[in-house]
Amino acid sequence: MEKQHHIQLLPGDVGETVFLPGDVSRAKVIADHFDSAELVASNRQYNTYTGMYKGVKVSVTSTGIGGAAAAIAIEELVKVGAKNLIRIGTGGMFQTWLPVPGILVITGAVSGDGLTREYFPQGYPAVADLDIVESMLASARELGIEVHEGYEWSHDSFYAGSVFSNLDILEIEKPWIDAGVLIASQEASTVLTLATARKVRGGVILASAGCHQHPEITATEEQMVKAISDATKISLETALKLHRLDHGE
Amino acid sequence: MNQEPHRQHHIDMLPGDIAPTVLVPGDPGRVALFAEQMDEAHKVAQKREYLTYTGKKDGVAVSCTSSGIGPSPTAIGTEELIRIGAKNIIRMGTCGAIQPFMKAGDIIIVTAAVRGERATEEFISIDYPAIASHYIVRAGIEACKRLKLTYHVGMVRTHDAFYLESPWAFGDYKARLQKWVDLGVLAVENEAATMFVVASMQGVRAGAILLSSDPIFGGSENDPDLDLHKQNLVRVSIETAKILHEMGLD
Repeated sequence: MEKQHHIQLLPGDVGETVFLPGDVSRAKVIADHFDSAELVASNRQYNTYTGMYKGVKVSVTSTGIGGAAAAIAIEELVKVGAKNLIRIGTGGMFQTWLPVPGILVITGAVSGDGLTREYFPQGYPAVADLDIVESMLASARELGIEVHEGYEWSHDSFYAGSVFSNLDILEIEKPWIDAGVLIASQEASTVLTLATARKVRGGVILASAGCHQHPEITATEEQMVKAISDATKISLETALKLHRLDHGE
Repeated sequence: MNQEPHRQHHIDMLPGDIAPTVLVPGDPGRVALFAEQMDEAHKVAQKREYLTYTGKKDGVAVSCTSSGIGPSPTAIGTEELIRIGAKNIIRMGTCGAIQPFMKAGDIIIVTAAVRGERATEEFISIDYPAIASHYIVRAGIEACKRLKLTYHVGMVRTHDAFYLESPWAFGDYKARLQKWVDLGVLAVENEAATMFVVASMQGVRAGAILLSSDPIFGGSENDPDLDLHKQNLVRVSIETAKILHEMGLD
């Protein structure tokens, strides 16, 4: 098999669990949480590190921003053997009762993005894998990290749905806020629908620096570094649990 | 607005009339199967297609309210059950299994549903997902294991027109269904997505436990053991309610 066009990887280059940050530089930040890690490929925005965590081979591939780029990474990662795809990302929260910073385990997504619309019929649900959701919640409990579970609004235009927008975002987002959706981000719908269709597990965990209703309240950079680190720790323990489910001890 | 509890327009019940977990068959006739399997159960209300029994099984309170067929009465029933305090609303119905590996009598624990119906589009954009509570999914899987029933876990398609996508439909219904087979959808039915959307928008848990009563690509389209299989469906649904109680979720 030739190397995959974009991620430049071959079968064997990644573990069964691959973490998917959007931010290119965050691939290294996540890999630094492994017991060992080396850069196995770097092409465009796709940086992949593979290493070991408590005896299990794990990987991280940065996807860049948005559903289009994430879908390319997912299709190619599945071809080289990925079985569990876990996005570790950031977003802007919708519910004022959530803590700032907040860590959210995503159970499903509103498919407001173009990628999902092109791949799947309207109304096709973006649902997170049961094993991943349960493993994330259990790992958070074991690590003593507060998390909240719920839906993400996945959309394409950051400057139409973030606190940096010139539009009336609370008006745009009102249907989702009223329905109890927790957070805005861009890739969950793509990760969850595509993983389901390719018969692999898909999951998402997000850290958030703030809430759209209160742009004046933001987490410090130091707090966000810790929140992303906590989300990574939860994800690594999740990888171990998935390994045990599939292969025993 | 008058905030006093009032008898809900269609299901004809007040807060206190139902248990925290409510099983919802489409068929009002199936409520009798529920009542037979409970240690005790009494009729609480009957109006239109909505028949409700509430009772106890092994000390756990469970209710059963029929919804009638289709998204419209399901949206009404789900909404009114929430307004009188339902915490776990679980569809207990039949469906047409469409994957070739599925047999008559298999149980389906539904994780999510394709929104092929229109009732929920009046509430929220089609982009919003119809997803079952993962707690109910887990309880349903555990119940199937305890009762040693063959089960599948996955997605279904909810739609309005039974006579477009069933073994008794006109024309080449298999061709119409092929798209959903290819997407990995397990079965087609008429209520799950509606229940999931109405409940999840209000932060209430919903789920669906379905019986493959007429597998469309899997051989027999007339199940000779249908009565026994319907009893299994009711049994596993009551067991699911008991497990939710054990999980502290009622």
